[in-house]
Amino acid sequence: MKKTITTRFGEVEYSPDNILTFPEGLVGLPALHSFIVMPNTKKGPLFWIQSVDDPLMAFILTDPTDFFLDYNVIPDEKERKLLGIDSTEQSVILSIVTVSETREITLNLAAPIIFAPTTSRAIQVILEDSPYSTKTKLPEIAASQK
Amino acid sequence: MLVLSRKPGEGLLIGDDITVKIIEIKGGGIRIGIEAPAHMKIYREEVYDRIRKENISAATNWNMNDLDVLSGNLEHRTTKK
Repeated sequence: MKKTITTRFGEVEYSPDNILTFPEGLVGLPALHSFIVMPNTKKGPLFWIQSVDDPLMAFILTDPTDFFLDYNVIPDEKERKLLGIDSTEQSVILSIVTVSETREITLNLAAPIIFAPTTSRAIQVILEDSPYSTKTKLPEIAASQK
Repeated sequence: MLVLSRKPGEGLLIGDDITVKIIEIKGGGIRIGIEAPAHMKIYREEVYDRIRKENISAATNWNMNDLDVLSGNLEHRTTKK
């Protein structure tokens, strides 16, 4: 049965059996467990997820490997357990996108999201001893491509 | 906040299963050893705070117009598909 919530973008209809679950919430936001994955209305690499637990919270996500070819995060055993997968099952890395006041975007490569398609579960991990920033700008592109 | 004095080599317990030990004091820094169950997450406070703040600003500082414009601008940037 469909449900609706009122978000800061208006009413959103969703199916409760089609929810992305963060068993432990997000870093600093441990109460955000359930998200609706919103269909992409435009082409391009960005999509968004809407929190069911807090209608004011919604995240833009993207596949960071579209921009950073060598970026990869492999879940350890503890993380796989939270995701409900074994070492043979696939997981996908996603980055939270922050939009600045000047409408520039940065990717949070320091705290990526690991998503397990088979279980629809996700976790946010902190890469503490990594060179990655919470506000990583997209790499510059050659002028001819602009 | 509870404040205790400890010397290097001394420790303290938080509940029954978390042990914090002062390893050494060196050059203005203190090395701390922590034993805790595997499911307990341990972060440096400033790192955790930075991620929490980034999450909150990422979740609240955009609108649908931003998403449409930005995603459209990035369409040609993706290396795959």
